[in-house]
Amino acid sequence: MKMKKLVSVSLATTMALSLAACGGSSGGPAGGSSDQVSAGSAEGGSAEGGSTLTIWQPTDKASIEAWWVEKLAEWNAEHPELQVKREAIDRSDSYAYENKVTTAVTSNDLPDILFVDGPTVSYYAANGIIVPITEYFSEEDMADFTPSTIAQGTYDGQLYAIGATESSVALYYNKDYLRECGVDVEDIEQRTLDNPLTWSELAEIAEKCTTDSYVGTHVIMDHGEGLPYALEPLFVSNGKDFVSEDGTTAESYVNSQECVDTAKWLADLIANKYANVDPITDEFLNGACATMLGGSWDIAILEESATFDWGVTYYPVSDSTKKAVSPCGDWSAAVSKNCTNVAGAGEFLQWLMSTENVATYAAAIAKPAARLSAYDHEAMADYKEGPRALIVEQLQNTASPRPRTPSYSVFSSRFAEALTNIFSDAASTQTVDPSYIQSELDAVASAFQEDYDMYYAQ
Amino acid sequence: MSKTAKAAGKKKHEHVAAYVFTLPGMFLLLAFLGVPILYTAGYSLFRYQIVRPDDIVFIGLQNYLKLFADAKFWLALKNTVYFTVLVVPAQCVLALALAMLVSSKFRGVSIFRTMYFSPQLTSMVVSSILWIVLYNANPNTGLINSLLVNLGLEPINFLTNEKTAMNSIIFMSAWQGAGYQMMIFLAGLQGISRDQYEAASVDGANKVQQFLYITLPGLRGTIKYIVMITMIQAMKLFTQPYVMTQGGPKDSTRTLVYYIYTQGFQQGNFGYACSIATVFFLIVVIMSLSMKRLIADNG
Amino acid sequence: MKGLKAANFMTKFLFYAGNVIIGLIFVSPLIWMISASLKPEALIFANMNSITTFIPVQASLDNFAEVFSRLNMVQVFKNTFVYIALILVFDLLLNSICGYALAKFDFRGKELMLNFVVALMVLPMEAIMLPLYIEMSQLGWVNTLAALVIPFVANCFSIYMFRQFFCDIPDELLEAASIDGSGPIRTFFTIVMPISKTVYATVFILDFVAHWNDFMWPFLVMTGETKRTIQLAIQVFFGTQPVHYSAIMAALVVSAIPMLIMFIFMQKYYIEGIASSGIKG
Repeated sequence: MKMKKLVSVSLATTMALSLAACGGSSGGPAGGSSDQVSAGSAEGGSAEGGSTLTIWQPTDKASIEAWWVEKLAEWNAEHPELQVKREAIDRSDSYAYENKVTTAVTSNDLPDILFVDGPTVSYYAANGIIVPITEYFSEEDMADFTPSTIAQGTYDGQLYAIGATESSVALYYNKDYLRECGVDVEDIEQRTLDNPLTWSELAEIAEKCTTDSYVGTHVIMDHGEGLPYALEPLFVSNGKDFVSEDGTTAESYVNSQECVDTAKWLADLIANKYANVDPITDEFLNGACATMLGGSWDIAILEESATFDWGVTYYPVSDSTKKAVSPCGDWSAAVSKNCTNVAGAGEFLQWLMSTENVATYAAAIAKPAARLSAYDHEAMADYKEGPRALIVEQLQNTASPRPRTPSYSVFSSRFAEALTNIFSDAASTQTVDPSYIQSELDAVASAFQEDYDMYYAQ
Repeated sequence: MSKTAKAAGKKKHEHVAAYVFTLPGMFLLLAFLGVPILYTAGYSLFRYQIVRPDDIVFIGLQNYLKLFADAKFWLALKNTVYFTVLVVPAQCVLALALAMLVSSKFRGVSIFRTMYFSPQLTSMVVSSILWIVLYNANPNTGLINSLLVNLGLEPINFLTNEKTAMNSIIFMSAWQGAGYQMMIFLAGLQGISRDQYEAASVDGANKVQQFLYITLPGLRGTIKYIVMITMIQAMKLFTQPYVMTQGGPKDSTRTLVYYIYTQGFQQGNFGYACSIATVFFLIVVIMSLSMKRLIADNG
Repeated sequence: MKGLKAANFMTKFLFYAGNVIIGLIFVSPLIWMISASLKPEALIFANMNSITTFIPVQASLDNFAEVFSRLNMVQVFKNTFVYIALILVFDLLLNSICGYALAKFDFRGKELMLNFVVALMVLPMEAIMLPLYIEMSQLGWVNTLAALVIPFVANCFSIYMFRQFFCDIPDELLEAASIDGSGPIRTFFTIVMPISKTVYATVFILDFVAHWNDFMWPFLVMTGETKRTIQLAIQVFFGTQPVHYSAIMAALVVSAIPMLIMFIFMQKYYIEGIASSGIKG
C-alpha cells in the first residue's frame, strides 16, 4: 500500500514538475546569446508597445544572413525607439513556409513584417493577412522599381508588398554541343529582344540535338510552382494569359484554344523525346541536355561548375505573335495584420528598400535587384554585361507577373497537376491528344472558379 | 484461466494500480489527440477558408455531400487501399525474412542489423529524393533504367506513368520500412525459448519445420501486432507521394492523407479537409478495431 | 567428416554472402548520401546512370566545413537531445505502465481504453496539425519546449507494443511475486521491467528515430535560430534557388551519426537468450 502511494505521488509530482519546467522556458526572450540578429535589442520577441518589430523571412545563403546582421545592427543603433529583429525561418520548400504563416494566422501569432512569395501577395491581401503600405512609398520611389515588381505587389489598387530582388527565366544553350550538331550558334548569340528565337526555331534546334545520350531541351523546372512560373510567358506570348486581368475568372483563358495550342507545343517536345518528362536536377549542367529554360540563378552555378562553353539567350516567343514575354517575381516584404505599429513598419520598409540597401541586398543574395537605380551601385557591377545584363533587360522590358488573384494557389497547384498529366500522357503514349489537353485545362479553369466563387465572389 | 483464481483482495489492489498506471497516459492522449480530432470533426461542418478564422460559416453536412460526390476522394480512397493491400504483406514478409537472417548470434550480426535498419536512419524525405533519381525515366540519368537497357529491356517511366507510379512507390516503401518491423520481430523472437529449438533439433526437425512449427506460432502475437501497425501506417501514406509524384500522374498516387493535406493547406479548404479527415478516421478506426478483435484471442 | 566441414563452410559462406548482398542493397542510400556529402555540388547528380554515382569523386570535407561554419551544431544537438530525451523518458515510463495495466490487470473501462488507444493510433499528424497548434497557442506553449514534448509523451503505438509484449509474460511469474508479498507496482518495477529490456530497447530505438526525423511539427511551433532542432537546421541549406545539395547531404550525414551510435549501442539488448530464460523458460 505504501509503495503504491509513493509511486503514484511521485508520478504525479514528476508530471507536474515536467510541465512546469517545460512551460518555464517560455519566459526567456526568443533570442539567446548566439542570436546575433537581435543584438542591440533590449526587448524580447513581442511587438508590444510598438518598440520591437519582428520579421519572418525564409533562411537563405550565408552572405545574406550576414547582410541582415550588419544592417539591422546599423538600424537598431540609430533607432533605439524602434528595434527590429529578424527570424530566419528554416523551411524545406515554400509550401512549408506558407503552412507556418497559415497556422500563425489562426492564432494571431504573425510577426510584424513577413516575406511573401510574389504570387501569394494577392491571396494574403484578399484575406486581410497583410495590410496596404502604399502611403510609405512615394511615386518617385515606385517608378524606380521594375513595373513587374510593383504590379506583383499590388492588389485592388493598393501596394501590399515590395521586394528588393527579382528573378527571371531565359534560354540556356550548350555552345560546344550545338556547334557539334551543326546549329548556327553565332545566329543565336546575335539575337536581340526584338527577334528572340521562336518556338519553331527552338523545336528545330531541339530536334537536331536529340540523340541517344542527349535531349534537345529542358522545360520542366519542377513539378510544382516551377511549371506556371517558368512557362506562363509561353502562354501569354501565344495570345492568352492564365486568368483574366481582374483575376476573377480562368474560363476561356487557361482553357482557351491559344492555351491548348501552347500546351500542345510543349507536349510535342516530350512526346518526340526532345525533352525529358522528369529531368534530373542539374541536367543541363551535367551535359545531358542541349538547351534549357533555366532561372536567373543558374548563371552562378554554370559560371562556377560548367565544363563546357555555354550561352544565354532571350525567352522564346510564339511564332504567331512574336511577342516577347518573360517570367519574374521573387520574395517581397509585407506588413501583417497583427502589426501594432504599422507606421513604424512602413518607415522601416522605406529604409530597407532604399537604393543603397537594395543594391547590397541583391548582391548578397545573388539575385537581380528590383530597383533600377540599384544597378548604378558598385555592388551590382557584374550586371552591366553578359548573361546578367540580358536578365536585367528582360526584367525591364518584357517581365509579366503571375496572375494577381486570391485563388492563385489553387490555380497553381491544379495547373501544375494538369501539365504533369499532359506530359506523362505524351511520354507514355508518344502521341499528343489535343482533346485530352483541353479536358485537363478545362478542369483547371473549373477548379479555379470553384475556389473563387466560394470565397471571393461578392 | 489463472485470472479467475485470483483472490478478491488482490483484485481491489489491482484496480487501484490499474488506474494509477493508465490515467496519465490516457489523460495525455485525450488532451493532445482526442481534443484535436474533436475539433477536426467539428470544423467539418463549417465553411472554413484556412486563413480566415474570423469568417467561419456553419453549413451543416454540405462538406460531406460534396465529399461523396467528389471523384478525387473515391480515387484517393481506392489508391490508399491498393497501397495498403500490397505493401503490408510485402513489407511484413520482408521484415520477417530479415529478422530471421539476423536473429541468431554470429560474428558481425550487429553490422548486418544496422545495414537493414539503415534506410530508417535517413528520413523518408531523403530516401524519396534518392529514389526519384534512381527511378528516373531516362536511361542516361536513371540508374535502374540504365540497368534495364543494358539487359536489353525497354526503359520504364516508373514515376511518370499512371500504371507504374504507385507500384514504384510500394516497392520503395517496403524497402524503406522493413527495418522498422524487423526490429519488432527481433524483439518478438527473443521471447521464443531456445530449448524448444534444441528439443526439435533432437527430434530431427529440419530448419523449415522448426520455422513452421516453432518460430511462426511463437511469433503469433508479434505478427498480428506488426500487421496491424503496418496497416495503419500504410493507410497514412503521405511523404512518398508528396515528394516523389505530387499525387500524380493522373491522380494515380493521390492518397487520402495527401488529399487532406493539399485540400486543407495548399488550397485552403480547411473545412472540407476536416470532413475528409473525419471520414478517413472512421474508416481506419473500423478497420483497425476489427483487426484488434482478431488479435484479442492472443491477449 | 571432412565433407561435413566443407559443407558447413559452404553454408556459412552462402549465409554471409547473402547477408552482404542484401545488406548492400539496404545500405545503398546511406552510402549514396555519404558519397554525395563528399562531392562538389556539380557532381552530385552526375553519373546517375552508373554504379559510380556511389563513389565519392573529388572527395573533400568542404561541405562539412560549410555545415559547421553555418550552424551552431553544439546548440542544435543540445536542443534536439533535450527534447527527445524528455519525450523518451516519459514515453518509456508512462506508456509501459499503461501497456502493462492493459495487459495484466482486470478493471472497469479496460476494453474501452484499449479501443481508444487503437483508434487514436490511426490519426495522421497532417490531419490534426492545425487544431493541435491552436491548442498549443491557447495554452501559451508556442515557441516553448512544452509544445515539442508534452503532446508526444503518450504514444498509442508504444502503449500497444508494450501491451502486446507484456501479454506474453506468464501469469505464474507474476503470481509467484504476489505470493511473496510484492504489490503490483513493485512487481512491475522489480520483475517485469528487468525481463523486458528488449521491448524497451525497441520502443526506444523506434521512437528516437521517429522524433529525430520529425520536421513539420518543430517547424510550426518553434521560431528562432537558437531553438533549431536538427531537422530544422538541415533546412537552412535549402534556401531559395539553387538548392545546395552538397551541404544538405553533409548535414544529413552529420545528423545520422547520433542515430547510428544510438542504434549500435542499443544492440546489446538484443542478445539472444536474455529474455528467454525469464519469460518462457
